[in-house]
Amino acid sequence: MVKASTTENPSQSVSPMQTFFIHLICGVGLAVGLWVAHNFYSISLISNPSRTLRLIWVTMCPLVILFYSCFRKNPEKCSYLKAVIRGVLALPIGALVNALGAIALGAPVGIQYFPKTVNWSLLMSLFTFVPAASVFGSSWEDWRRIFAHTKPNASVDYMICLPAHGAVIGAWFGAWPMPLDWERPWQEWPICVSYGAMAGYLITMVLSFVLVLARGRQQHPKAD
Amino acid sequence: MSQMTCKSLAIITLAGVIIQMIGLSLFVWGFFPVKPALTGVSGPESYRAPAFDSDENYGNISLPPHQLRSLYQDLSGIPPSFDRLILLVIDGLPAEFVLGKDGNPPRKAFMEAMPYTQSLLANGMAIGYHAKAAPPTVTMPRLKAMVSGAIGGFLDVAFNFNTQAMADDNLLGQFSSIGWKMVMHGDDTWLKLFPGLFTRHDGVSSFFVKDTIQVDQNVSRHLVDELSRDDWNLLILHYLGLDHVGHIGGRSSLLMAPKLAEMDEVVKMIHTSILTRENDQGWTLLVVVSDHGMTENGNHGGSSFEEADSLALFVGLRGHVSDYKSATQNTAQQVDIAPTLALLLGVPIPKNNVGVLIDETFDQLKDDHQLRALELNSWQLFRLLDAQISCLSCANISLNDFSDGQPSVTTECNDSLEKMFCCLYMNAAVLHSTWKSKKVSQSSSWEDYNSTVIAYHKFLKTASEWLSSRATDKPVDLLAFGVTAMLLSCLVLLSLTLHMGREINLIEKLHHYHSNNDMQMCFLDEIFVLGVILILVISMASSSMVEEEHYIWHFMSSTLFLILLRKTVQLLPAQNSLSKGTKNFKFQMCSVFVLLISGRILRGCHQGGVNWTHLPDISKWLENSGGVHVKTVQLVSGVSVVILGFCFLSLLSSKKNVILVVGFNFLVSGLLVLVHIVKYQENAFARSSYGATISAQMIYAVLGSTTVGTAVLLPWFMPIQISKVGSSRDIYSSISVPSDVKDKSLLMALKDSLYVIGWAYIFSWCLLQLLLQQPINAMPILLLLVQILTSLLHFSYSGLHHKEWVEISTLYFLGMAGHFALGNSNSLATIDVAGAFIGISSHSTLLSGVLMLIITYASPLLVLFALVVYMSVKGCLVTQNVNSGHLLQTMLGFPCLVPLTLNSILLTAYTIVLLLMRNHLFVWSVFSPKYLYVCATSVCIYIGIFVVAATGTYTYLVLGKRKIMQYIELLQKNQELVVPAAFHRISFKNMAALKHCFLLSMIVAFSLSSFQMSMAARNLLQAPAGPLPTLPPMPKVALPPMPSIPTLPQATLPPLPTLPNQPTLPKLPTLPPMPAAPKVTLPPLPSNPIPTTIPSIPNIPSTIPTIPFLSPPPSN
Repeated sequence: MVKASTTENPSQSVSPMQTFFIHLICGVGLAVGLWVAHNFYSISLISNPSRTLRLIWVTMCPLVILFYSCFRKNPEKCSYLKAVIRGVLALPIGALVNALGAIALGAPVGIQYFPKTVNWSLLMSLFTFVPAASVFGSSWEDWRRIFAHTKPNASVDYMICLPAHGAVIGAWFGAWPMPLDWERPWQEWPICVSYGAMAGYLITMVLSFVLVLARGRQQHPKAD
Repeated sequence: MSQMTCKSLAIITLAGVIIQMIGLSLFVWGFFPVKPALTGVSGPESYRAPAFDSDENYGNISLPPHQLRSLYQDLSGIPPSFDRLILLVIDGLPAEFVLGKDGNPPRKAFMEAMPYTQSLLANGMAIGYHAKAAPPTVTMPRLKAMVSGAIGGFLDVAFNFNTQAMADDNLLGQFSSIGWKMVMHGDDTWLKLFPGLFTRHDGVSSFFVKDTIQVDQNVSRHLVDELSRDDWNLLILHYLGLDHVGHIGGRSSLLMAPKLAEMDEVVKMIHTSILTRENDQGWTLLVVVSDHGMTENGNHGGSSFEEADSLALFVGLRGHVSDYKSATQNTAQQVDIAPTLALLLGVPIPKNNVGVLIDETFDQLKDDHQLRALELNSWQLFRLLDAQISCLSCANISLNDFSDGQPSVTTECNDSLEKMFCCLYMNAAVLHSTWKSKKVSQSSSWEDYNSTVIAYHKFLKTASEWLSSRATDKPVDLLAFGVTAMLLSCLVLLSLTLHMGREINLIEKLHHYHSNNDMQMCFLDEIFVLGVILILVISMASSSMVEEEHYIWHFMSSTLFLILLRKTVQLLPAQNSLSKGTKNFKFQMCSVFVLLISGRILRGCHQGGVNWTHLPDISKWLENSGGVHVKTVQLVSGVSVVILGFCFLSLLSSKKNVILVVGFNFLVSGLLVLVHIVKYQENAFARSSYGATISAQMIYAVLGSTTVGTAVLLPWFMPIQISKVGSSRDIYSSISVPSDVKDKSLLMALKDSLYVIGWAYIFSWCLLQLLLQQPINAMPILLLLVQILTSLLHFSYSGLHHKEWVEISTLYFLGMAGHFALGNSNSLATIDVAGAFIGISSHSTLLSGVLMLIITYASPLLVLFALVVYMSVKGCLVTQNVNSGHLLQTMLGFPCLVPLTLNSILLTAYTIVLLLMRNHLFVWSVFSPKYLYVCATSVCIYIGIFVVAATGTYTYLVLGKRKIMQYIELLQKNQELVVPAAFHRISFKNMAALKHCFLLSMIVAFSLSSFQMSMAARNLLQAPAGPLPTLPPMPKVALPPMPSIPTLPQATLPPLPTLPNQPTLPKLPTLPPMPAAPKVTLPPLPSNPIPTTIPSIPNIPSTIPTIPFLSPPPSN
């Protein structure tokens, strides 16, 4: 692995096992958050969305930042601590961007919605911004490649790009049932959007693992 | 690939559109049937059992009235219960206000406001019903339903603004045939429905929605006189005030309780007079009904419980003691009123009635009479069934079944439809005859009677329900043909668009506009636009998605903007290459942000739809914060629109003179609109005054003439820069192609003129909207303008990076999102009716309709007009190697085809959805109104596209001709060139034609503008002069004794179009504005009885039938 990092690929290459491990950790973090909320505080997304969302993002935050920082770009120039700080800084910034995006798409504005929106956008920031910030820092080209062009090259790109897109697209689709007149409690902002985001995140994590695996298989014969 | 010429493209498009129009009208014709009705009038035969040989015809309809009356009495076998009827119609009164709801009494304030009515109910002197009205809950169809018992077709709404005489069999016609004298005071809809039927009448118009007092005073002032007279049998009083109160302030308006108290006074007055005069004039029945209810906001038209909850209150029934508790839950259908009244008053039930008599109102009758009433109703319904079901013959189940005295009753009736009705009917008939025979033998029991009643009811209810739902019977072939035509046109347009797309792609490839890099980009925006169309089509099938459609449009357009943002970032040049392009891209990014932000604010302006209307939004917040804030916002928006417009115009910096001239002309109209806002939109009172009407007409005239003038004349004066003439070969080749465009100067002139013309369209449209829309909507108009200008700028900067059809679709989505942001929805209740009368001095259905269309479709039409600018910004990028027709084609092709195609896809899809949903529960309340909206949208698209295409073609042709002329002039100057004789001929021909064209367009422009100006001028002059020749003394006699209104301007007296020699009183369309006085005195007096606040009113009524606009402004 050390050898790999010295080759032309500036970021550390990631083996499928590592991908699997990271995704598993993230998924488990998500599940633990939900489980803790349900069993210890006996709340759920429906009964108390903002507290539940807070629990989830607080659980996931250290996991995401600490583990993704291991795969930072240019590990020689950039210390682990710096990557962690980058991730921590990216959390509120990403939350702001996500919140603005959600509001632009019609999320309700108002004092009673404020905590919900904040917690939801912090969670979304963990799904989208924080991993990228930990890994790429402020490298504009990489950000543009991942988020504007959606052209992941390395394995780590897949690990960041796919779940982030999955979470956003999932949240977008999650908003669809909101205007229907089913009068279910989960049609409120941001419950079904959160469900959609989590579902999209989980699904694309699996997809990302599969793609990294396939990439590894493809490259393996080449190396031979 | 065969290149389609411009002409053939145009012709095919036109053909597609025409096919679509035909298909649409056929479908509408078939789907919204003018209800299948029996012709003719019920006569004496309705008292005979429906014979199975059905030939019996009395043919003695021509009996004199009194004979007919006694004949009916003899035949019916029911002694007439009442001799006179007073029908008190309170427009828009929800039954909930009087009867309460779900076992709860009505609101306390309303209970206290109507002490007399409540005491009547409590004492059992009256019995009230929640009479469920069928949609559409607007006045005219509901009145028709009440008097005829028939449920009209959905398209009766369309006729609500064009009331016409009722031809079907109805109660009033029946009354008139037995010689009743009828009197009507109130809503003039009655007069339009029954012209010439009333011996005395005083119609008030529902035209002046803001008037809540005078409109009722004009009815009540006749009350004392009419009640003391005995020359009428039917007195109809139709009070509009309560509906107006609702329209202004909603259910919980402060004016509501006083209005209810006023109505209670009326009921008390009538009832006491009935009681005192009971013996000399026979029995009088008072029926208090409302035509429909109202929503919390005071609107109506849909089918929610609040809107459909109309009242039917019978006062004066003898011997009836009702249980007050149950009165809150008494329900009936509105159509039940017709048969009930017919039977109570001894006339035949109208032929097309589908209602069932209301049982409790017959409690005063003897048992056999009650059964007879049920029998008569059953016969009538059976006849109607017989007419609607072709093979309903009960002859097989003969009457012999009961001849043996032991009928096989209570057979379960689960057969086919015909058999079931037969069976139910026969059951009842058999039981009835058994009961009769038993009664003769004195052995009839209470049980027999009861089972007979139950059997009759079973038949009546089943038949009534089936007949009511029967209004949705549709001719299949018509529908199929319509849908096929629409599908065909949709395919034609779609293939044309694809063809255009391929052609443009080819040209672009030819000229290498796309670098290889761009080609690799994923076309997310294109896929998304296609996805939006798909999602829209799918979402149309869900009733709640139709109700909440504004969410979809906003969500989709915002997402599209986000995708555009992403694409802009993609195109951003790499950071290290800091070229001047970066600034460009930064601007593009900013424009997307502006689009997103203004879109979000627009979305927050009106909380539309059905389920979440109660949530706070900007318009509610502004309204609650008071009129001053609304006005400030409105003024600021108006000024910003003007400023923004001029900034946008000045972007075209090359043609200073043109800009100055056009800009000045529009500055005048802009200032006029602003002055109008300042002066007249202060309150509802001033808004509809005479001065405001004149001012609005002036603005129409000025805006119309300036816009048309700009569009017609500008191409003639737009300077074409003459480039140096090349070789003579160029000129010769230019003859072969009539208007060559090899020279760029023509293209530049074309672009510039289209830019200015398009700007004129956009700007004048915005000014018009500022004038017409509610004050609340001024800010959304500004935001819409900002959005459209920003997106135009964005697209102009982005060059060829976006596909043209994607950009036009984006604009289209923007327009639809804006349509909902202006407070529109898919329910008919949100149409701004009040705005449709601005600047109209007399009732004109056509003009009001046009204004309504303008107000409702402000946003989509604005976008279509913006396409003219779009053409100038984008359209003429292909400059090389193309002939003239091709230029026109590339310029006009997409802007015209894309909206047409999008619309045709949506229209066709929704038509199919509507067909599939025809048995859905909400078909009449959700899907049909939406279909009307879809149709209106199509009409708008046709109009807008026509304007775009006509402008483009006209400008192009004019400029082309001028270009040739310039060549010729040049040629004549440069004598060194030898001009062939043939060329001379052509050139002179051309010049002559050109001159003719120019003259013609000048004449058109001037005549149009002078016509409009003269209209405005005439209206202005008419003000003082109009009334004088016809009725000189009137204004002075009538008006001075108004002490409460000290300053009465004489300069603005109303025009009195039709005055003297009428036996009835003349009508005043408008009343002189009475400035601020009533406004200050009225609104804060909820507790005071309204009539006392205007002491001088009694002086007026003798001369002026309607004095509108005395109303206070909407009170919140």
